[in-house]
Amino acid sequence: MKINFILNKEAVSIDVDPMKRLLDVLREDFGLMGSKEGCGEGECGLCTVIYDNKPVTSCILNAIHADNKEILTAEGVAEEPLGKLLIECFDETNAVQCGICFPGFLVSSYHYLLTDGEPVLEKIKTALSGNICRCTGYKKIFESVLLACQRKKSGEA
Amino acid sequence: MKFYKPTSLPDLFRIVNDIEGKKYYLAGGTDINVQIKKDMIKDEPVIFINHLNELRGIFEVEDKIIIGCLTSFKDLLESILIKKHLPYLQKSLNAFASPLLQAMASLGGNLANGSPTADLTPPLLVLDAKLKILSRSKMRIIPLAEFYRGYKQFNLKHNELIGAIIISKQAEAGYDCFHRKIGSRKALTIAKIGLAGLKKAENGIIKDIKLAAGSLNEYPRRLIKLEEYLVGKSIDSLNFTDIEEILQKEITPISDLRSDKEYRWQVTVNLLETFLKN
Amino acid sequence: MRDIRKFDARPKLDGSWKFLDDITYEGMIYGQLLYSTCHHGIIKKIQFPKDFELNEFTIVSAKDIVGKNLVPEPEPDQPFMAEDKVSHFGQIILGIAHPSKRTLISFIKQIQIDYQELPAITDIEECLENEDNVFGREIIIDHRREIELESNWIHSHEIYYTPHQEHAYMEPQGIISIWNPADRKMFVKATCQCPYFVKHAVEAIMGKAINEAVIETSEGIGGAFGGKEDFPNVLAGITSLLAYKSGKPVKIMLDRADDFKITTNRHPSRIELHTYTDPATKKIMKLNVDYRLDAGAYQTLSPVVLSRGVLHASGGYNIPDVYIRGRLFRSNTPSNGAFRGFGVPQALAAIEAHADKIASQLNMDPYDFRKTNIFKVGNEFPSTQKITENHLEECLDRVVQKSDYRKKLQEFKEWNVAHKDKKGIGISMGYHGGGYTGNGEKILNSKIKIIIEKDAKVKIFVSSTDMGQGAHTTLAQMFFEAIKHPREKCWVQLPNTSKTPDSGPTVASRTIYIIGTMLQKFALKIKDEMGFTNLEEYVASHQSDFPREFQIKFTPDPTVSFDDNNFRGTAYKDYSWAACVSEIYYHADTYQIELKKIWNVLDIGHPVNLKIAEGQVEGGNIQAMGYALTEFFYKKDFGRMQGFTDYSIPLSLDIPEIDIEFIHTDSDVAKGLGEIPMDYPAPAIRNAFHNAAGIFINEYPLTPERIFKQISSPKNHRI
Repeated sequence: MKINFILNKEAVSIDVDPMKRLLDVLREDFGLMGSKEGCGEGECGLCTVIYDNKPVTSCILNAIHADNKEILTAEGVAEEPLGKLLIECFDETNAVQCGICFPGFLVSSYHYLLTDGEPVLEKIKTALSGNICRCTGYKKIFESVLLACQRKKSGEA
Repeated sequence: MKFYKPTSLPDLFRIVNDIEGKKYYLAGGTDINVQIKKDMIKDEPVIFINHLNELRGIFEVEDKIIIGCLTSFKDLLESILIKKHLPYLQKSLNAFASPLLQAMASLGGNLANGSPTADLTPPLLVLDAKLKILSRSKMRIIPLAEFYRGYKQFNLKHNELIGAIIISKQAEAGYDCFHRKIGSRKALTIAKIGLAGLKKAENGIIKDIKLAAGSLNEYPRRLIKLEEYLVGKSIDSLNFTDIEEILQKEITPISDLRSDKEYRWQVTVNLLETFLKN
Repeated sequence: MRDIRKFDARPKLDGSWKFLDDITYEGMIYGQLLYSTCHHGIIKKIQFPKDFELNEFTIVSAKDIVGKNLVPEPEPDQPFMAEDKVSHFGQIILGIAHPSKRTLISFIKQIQIDYQELPAITDIEECLENEDNVFGREIIIDHRREIELESNWIHSHEIYYTPHQEHAYMEPQGIISIWNPADRKMFVKATCQCPYFVKHAVEAIMGKAINEAVIETSEGIGGAFGGKEDFPNVLAGITSLLAYKSGKPVKIMLDRADDFKITTNRHPSRIELHTYTDPATKKIMKLNVDYRLDAGAYQTLSPVVLSRGVLHASGGYNIPDVYIRGRLFRSNTPSNGAFRGFGVPQALAAIEAHADKIASQLNMDPYDFRKTNIFKVGNEFPSTQKITENHLEECLDRVVQKSDYRKKLQEFKEWNVAHKDKKGIGISMGYHGGGYTGNGEKILNSKIKIIIEKDAKVKIFVSSTDMGQGAHTTLAQMFFEAIKHPREKCWVQLPNTSKTPDSGPTVASRTIYIIGTMLQKFALKIKDEMGFTNLEEYVASHQSDFPREFQIKFTPDPTVSFDDNNFRGTAYKDYSWAACVSEIYYHADTYQIELKKIWNVLDIGHPVNLKIAEGQVEGGNIQAMGYALTEFFYKKDFGRMQGFTDYSIPLSLDIPEIDIEFIHTDSDVAKGLGEIPMDYPAPAIRNAFHNAAGIFINEYPLTPERIFKQISSPKNHRI
């Protein structure tokens, strides 16, 4: 089936099995490896992308869901000004450890920063509650997002 | 796996009427894709409905709120209408999975999945939610409480679909509202116990009460006998021996991977006690 | 202690850093494992489904093994694949490959195996209670002294239990193998901690079929925590066999549920303690430890977990008379393996809970009791190794001070009288020996290679992997900071066994402590020998000498010796020390413990990179929190957990406040850090619960179900 969508701000079209997982479409058909597979059941957040203006786990979406929609992957977020701000903050605090969950955290944090951005720890924790990290203990992730929120607020970015 | 993408609601029912045997509706996909991965769905036909926008949305019609079956948890969480009329329901939505799943999962899908642990069913039950069930030529409205008939058994014919959920705008008004989900952590967890309640008391006497439990039976259900017993009782002199005796007939907690029946029982009693006394 | 940023953070964030599953090769096919669902039995028949083209699949069994069907390291007793008998659930029977992932999964799901079932031990308690299940070598640490038991001494006897723990690294296990018949080399791309273990395993299974196995890690290793120390050896062996038989590159990525079900876990333990305490002096006079681990079906690396476990079993206490006995028990479950802490979390679960037990018998505050019994310079470990510094006590004092322990204790006591819910505060302390146990480092004899290029770029070649702990950033930092070389001119190369020498496995909190120290010393040595103050200027003025290659070998400290037979002598040259206070809130309605805050004070010597070091402590704390409160893996009659909603690791909303302080940071030595933050927090959480609710529970995790059971039947000590 032919599916048209906007991927990282670019119109794309692909002939694909409509039931193919969106995650596999991104990785196999578009070579976007920033979305990782950690569980395949929507429970870990490694494959988080922005779909239709909201963060979702792409492993439990199908190609058909993308039809006529807009998708932003970690690669796309990294090109956005707020994505760049977040990357700087994650880097500055040495928050990243193994890093395989971080593209997912980047996407969820980006959505928070974009739609709310209030530097409030509890709100950040809720916004990130679908993304699992086993290395960091989350503390430096929270610190990074707080820092990005503060910088956004004070107009540094 | 045969795949259908209906062009409209009538087209959907045309397709549905032609399919014999098992089929799956694909809305947000949060459940179906897990079942496909686990090989629980093999070659059964899948009908995509997520694009049928006539099944989506939150509307105010006279004294009712009507929620299209495709409406996502996130839509409900962000809805001004829900915030205005059903704030308790809105707060209850936070218990569901994680923001990433809230964005995709639909309310209709959550109900039709029929999981005994479904997070939102107990609050919807105490709100006396009704289901608008659609088929090609008919529409019927049934109370949610009459939808479940056993473990994953529904009051739903093969050519029917839950079209919308209907809740009275007054459903919460004047009630003390209560909802607790007990899981092994705060997010992304399957409920060991889900308990919802609405209570109206005057001068220390219970005037009206609605209680519902999830994860404690084969499907989420109202605790009707307990409700009947409690109406007219004085809050300060509740007899918990009686309450436990009735409750025993209403719930059948089990031991499984996630918890034990003894624990489920006692915590249900504790939570009920806290809710009833406060 | 400079906060150098990690060199790989940005590419990891934008998705360009390659993890194993991000790599494909021309013509690559996909593999999966068919494993036993029977705990113990004889394979009677394997039946393949009919509606598949069998010749499209590559299938390997034990019969296809050219070399030996025995994983060579650490203890060579585990077969790569079952032959006619299976000894545990999850034992691999076949490796199967096909060009389509979907077809492969559907094929494997439909394969039927008939077993003749044999009696099996799958329950932790059943395994550890029965001494008939003992296997492998028993370890005794005998530090008995002729002390007469006084009749008024307080006898404290308890048995402590810990469960399995799943690593739950976010990247499942995976391997890619590529067979090159031209040079008869097997190239293996691995997400692993120990490239040389993998090399030895692949060479063992392939035997004469290949000349050499070359192992290279993927750029990204998505978490390991010990879980990628031994299982990759098995997986690489089977993947290589598939590559050899099919002639095509083969990739196996385990599905999350399979990874949960068949890979190694932390060893469950049963630790029985007897102590005798003099009520007059409040000092423990005598300790007897029976330390038991459920090893699973094979020993593999359990003997080394056991030896580290018993060497930490007496905790930070000075006890004149100690007898420790350590044993492995066999069960029909997958072999348990390395996991951050390596026997020490189990040891501290027992001794640190026991300290609170004795304190309560003496009606003493747990901090005062520890102060009375903590070891001091001049005392010795049960192995007779001398205590040379009082840093453990300093950690303890500092953490008690900064957490406001005494004040909180009083406040909570008053608060608890008036409330149904309870607040509690608890202490624990511990230590972790750096590097391999005993003579291990001497035997490992680690090697490093360094090339200094014509443009003064320094390339560091080690087999130590960066699995997220930041090893490659910190190792480079240790080199360039020592001689003030620019950071962008110093890089650790991707581990590859044909290029990087064997600097030992990336385990045992040894990477910075052993390998980093070697690099640092070497940097200072060449500076001294070549006589430069600026390496760039030196290279510029001595161009004909470069590029220049250096080989460095580990030099053991001649004063350090350990008797492996009697467990006497210096078990570890340097110990890291730590103490911890935790604060909890207990919900009486639901029997749930909520961890509010945790304070850590550690002496890890010199923290090379403060933020990376803090990150290790934060991550270790949260793994320990899961271990103490929510993570359990196997429930009798319900089997193993399969996914992230079954197996409850802490998520963002569960995270407490974490406070960290390092002391003695001006030390010359950068000691071990990776494991200790996982060792000590769990008993502090357990002790805080005791302080809150007055209930002793001797088994992790402290799930609300377990607490409820304990409350409703206090006599029933064990659940």
